[in-house]
Amino acid sequence: MRSATVQTRMPMRLGPQPGEVIDRHRPFTFTWNGERYPAFAGDTIISALAASGERVFSRSFKYHRPRGLLTASFLDPGCVVQVNDEPNVRGSHRRVEPGMIVSAQNAWPSLRFDAKSVNRFLGRFLPPGFYYKTFIKPQRLWPAYEKVLQRFAAGGRTFPDSPHGYYDKRYAHPDIVVAGGGPAGMAAAVAAAEAGARVILVEEEYELGGHLRWGSEDELGALRELRDEVARTPGIEVLTNSVVNGRYDGNWVAILQRNLPHVEERLIKARAKVLVVAPGLIERPYVFRGNDLPGVILSTAARRLINLFAVKPGERAVVLTANADGDAAVADLERAGVEVARVEDARRGGDIIGARGRNGVRMVECGDGSRVECDLLVTATGWTAPTSLLNMAGDRPVYNPTAARFFPSRPSDDVLATGGISGDGSLDELLAHARATGQEAARRALKVGSALRAGVPRRVDVEEPPDMPPIEIPELPVVEHPELFQGRTDGIVDFSEDISSKDIVAAAKEGYDSVELMKRYTTATMGPTQGKLETVNAVAILARATGKTIEETGTTVWRPPYAPITLGALAGRNFEPVRYSPMQPWHERHGANPMVAGAWIRPEHYGDPESEARNVRENVGLIDVTPLGKLDLRGPDVPKLLNLLYVNQWNTLEVGKVRYGVMCAEDGVVLDDGVTGRLGPEHYLMTTTTSGAATVWEWIESWLQTEHPDWQVHVTPVTDAYASINIAGPKSRELLLRVAGDVDLSPEAFPYMNVRTGTVAGVEGCFMWRIGFTGELSYEVHVPAAYGLYVWEKLMDRGADLGVKPFGIQAQRILRLEKGHLIVGQDTDGLTGAYSAGLSWAIKLYKEDFIGKPELSWQSECDNSFQLVGLQPHDGSVVPPEASQIVEGENEIAGRITSSCMSPTLGRSICLGFVAPHLAEPGTSVTVLLPNGERTTARVMEYLAHFDPKGERQRG
Amino acid sequence: MAERAPIARSPISPAPPVTVEYGWEISARRTSADLRIMDCTPLVKILVRASIDGGVARALEVPFGRAACDERGVLVVGSGPGEWLLLAPPGAGTETVRRVEEVRDREIVSILDVTHGRALVRISGEEAVDLLAKVCGIDFSDEVTPDGTAFRSSVAKLTTDVVRDDQDGVRSYLLHCERSFGQYLFDSLHDAGDEFGIEIEGFAGSKALSQPG
Repeated sequence: MRSATVQTRMPMRLGPQPGEVIDRHRPFTFTWNGERYPAFAGDTIISALAASGERVFSRSFKYHRPRGLLTASFLDPGCVVQVNDEPNVRGSHRRVEPGMIVSAQNAWPSLRFDAKSVNRFLGRFLPPGFYYKTFIKPQRLWPAYEKVLQRFAAGGRTFPDSPHGYYDKRYAHPDIVVAGGGPAGMAAAVAAAEAGARVILVEEEYELGGHLRWGSEDELGALRELRDEVARTPGIEVLTNSVVNGRYDGNWVAILQRNLPHVEERLIKARAKVLVVAPGLIERPYVFRGNDLPGVILSTAARRLINLFAVKPGERAVVLTANADGDAAVADLERAGVEVARVEDARRGGDIIGARGRNGVRMVECGDGSRVECDLLVTATGWTAPTSLLNMAGDRPVYNPTAARFFPSRPSDDVLATGGISGDGSLDELLAHARATGQEAARRALKVGSALRAGVPRRVDVEEPPDMPPIEIPELPVVEHPELFQGRTDGIVDFSEDISSKDIVAAAKEGYDSVELMKRYTTATMGPTQGKLETVNAVAILARATGKTIEETGTTVWRPPYAPITLGALAGRNFEPVRYSPMQPWHERHGANPMVAGAWIRPEHYGDPESEARNVRENVGLIDVTPLGKLDLRGPDVPKLLNLLYVNQWNTLEVGKVRYGVMCAEDGVVLDDGVTGRLGPEHYLMTTTTSGAATVWEWIESWLQTEHPDWQVHVTPVTDAYASINIAGPKSRELLLRVAGDVDLSPEAFPYMNVRTGTVAGVEGCFMWRIGFTGELSYEVHVPAAYGLYVWEKLMDRGADLGVKPFGIQAQRILRLEKGHLIVGQDTDGLTGAYSAGLSWAIKLYKEDFIGKPELSWQSECDNSFQLVGLQPHDGSVVPPEASQIVEGENEIAGRITSSCMSPTLGRSICLGFVAPHLAEPGTSVTVLLPNGERTTARVMEYLAHFDPKGERQRG
Repeated sequence: MAERAPIARSPISPAPPVTVEYGWEISARRTSADLRIMDCTPLVKILVRASIDGGVARALEVPFGRAACDERGVLVVGSGPGEWLLLAPPGAGTETVRRVEEVRDREIVSILDVTHGRALVRISGEEAVDLLAKVCGIDFSDEVTPDGTAFRSSVAKLTTDVVRDDQDGVRSYLLHCERSFGQYLFDSLHDAGDEFGIEIEGFAGSKALSQPG
């Protein structure tokens, strides 16, 4: 009963058709512009609406003319709709679903009464280049122009709050990609797979078959056989509702896969050894007055509607035919009960002058001047060969006047073509051509595969296929076809962009007489159909306007993408690697504010950074410094390496000792710094800055491998192997004593700048460093990383009565600034030499050699570089923001603030900064220009350290 | 009260139920899903560096780019020129190091226990190929990367070592990266495998490494 009810609401729905793709047992309803419509599973949005008698689906891009169905395929330019919150959906391709909410785009207030259609009466004032000419001056009015133009911009609505779908990418390495799942594509795929190739067969529609799907009984029989062959041939991966969107160097083929069960869209990056292009032919419209009226459709559209969707395209038709497909459309129309009022046969001089109507065809003026009332005009006037993928491989198509279409011109080793794009002929001839092409593609692909595998070292042996002679591919015949592009009247050429034949002629008259210039000036072929419907007509009209032949005019270059692609598909998954310390779960549980530091997520603070800093000065604090770079150095030549890398001396470092090192590049610029400890006679552990860990490792390997491959050194990054915990504060020794099992922590046995190996909280193999960045007595404990959380929790537990608290990066930065420790990358930049950074004490020019020595030797004799100094504003309540300029006179730059904060220990603001050499003397007053334009003054201090400059606390 | 033994933790949060075995906090989850992901971080990982033609290289027998299980169940991975990663059951670290020490000659040899420095994940099931094809650009076909292949590549934009180590004829891959990226790698693989019905399997020493053949 329900089925019958729905059926009565679809007046244009036909009885069952042999090749129909709808499931009449699964009716449902959906919404179109606020009203409910019936549909069957398998219907496209537009076929369902057409079955209900709807004919207008959108308004045109520029003139807001009513637009209906034209191709009944993905390309259909007048059938782009809004589906739920998704704009620009191809309504003639997207299958309608129960409850789907569909609405028209590009119309206001409604599709039927579109106020913007006033544009059509202004057409004469909107010539090609209208925007370029009109809105370029005066430039100051552009914001106003922009607002107005935005209101007229075509396209659907986006909703910022819509949840984004799941998009991803996939890599594939097939032997062959076949672009196009019509009969030729299927035959080529089967032949290639039978020859041993792995094939991906890509079809834009939901089913394989191409034009056979809407063909005769014989053609449907052939389709069933081909589909069976594909299904039973191993080695073929079939991708339907997918499109080969581009071909790039090395046969990198981009395939867009749509509407998968788990993925909105997927971009497949296929590295094909051979690409077989078999897209079939695309029927092109005819240019005449009124050719964009709803009801003017292509013959393939009529056949798709009738045979695939059982939809009657109209009641009374006129047909303009120039080929067998047009003839077949006449037969289909008559079989579907459409009254074919007139057939204009272009092979015998028939023609159409124009079509008339308001929101659809009402009358057609035929070539002999007679007028026929009708609601349907079907045209079959020729084909476009979509040579896009061949263009992308370097091919320049050549026009063939006999067939009235372009053909590929230049075969290549890794791209072959078959099917209608290569020629005409019977189905058997096409299949023979396709099979030979598939075999030849397989032969070439397997040969490439053998060569590739031979280049893989130490692979397992596999039997290589014998080298076969080339397969002979038969020539396809070219069937004569009338050259029909434009009739006696003007009409729309580019249905997506609303470009008429008049526009192209006007462009030519303005001097845009090359096809590429005409394209850019008029935007013809630049819309969503990307030239597949309009290129040949546009070229032909331009040729006539310029007095050239079509061959001389040539065609435009087709570039990726072949079909529109969403930004989501291009973006894919958002892969952004992040690094976590072993103690991250504890930080999260205790309210740490996360801070992104490179790929690391670190605790910035735990709520009150100043309090955290004070606790370190008064009691004891723990900070997670796991990201600190760590390199394990082994071998007898490590001292040589350290002497090369660092500006200071390393020959005398004893086992158990630690030394601070400064690393410079060849130009004397500070590259990195850190401490290195000697753990054994030939075993050292180097630490680097967090951000410099990877750079320093590469730097060392570069020097070892290119300059000193004879040195006996192994360098292994071990940053992640150890959880690093800095225990800082006057009570740090007492805390560590409670958990350190076998190491004497007394100041005499374990003094400042020493390292020991031992057990911490029962965990063996820990390194304990007596170093510090905070200026306090502190120990840095490196724990085998898997025990990091365990040890951290033990320390927090055992130190509760000592007032132990965690502190974050912000507190650490306060403490180190109080202590005057510089941070490479913050207090230095890409031009800061070691002398400028106040590191002259570390530079040992007497060493035989080290990286940067020549430059630093020169710098040591100069005295004109800025100097890093400690600064304290005279007004201790003012904290000059980092990067504030230090100026002299009329804003002459004389330095800058590199670090600044309010010191909780000193109760005043403190800074580090660069000043000109003549301002570097302690006690000098400098002027700091604040970002708000105000000025303050600061005093140059004797030391970089503002607190405990003698280092008594950290050495205690 | 006696001090409890320290507990080692993987960088990958264990899926409940959670237990402690081998001194590690691990997931005890079991699954019969065709596609499985297992955190194998507790396996011992010994990094060996030596010359490509010295005694160690001869003893290990595995060239760069290949992986093979030795007679004691240690998976020897030729992870780089003159570099091997030895994967052994939990607790076998000392013995594994000792065996390498025994075969070193006068060459410089580095033997580092990087158990704590690397995260290790195993993906098992025939659809592991489809999963990896979503996150890695390498050709995972049998022809190009047969069982026993080892290579370093970008997986979900992360530098990762990949070892094909089939188990009982079922396709299986070990992936390891720097420890701090472990959770990210695991999450990325789990996300990529969602459409194939991937399920988490807790660490089991007997399943983490192939048995010597």
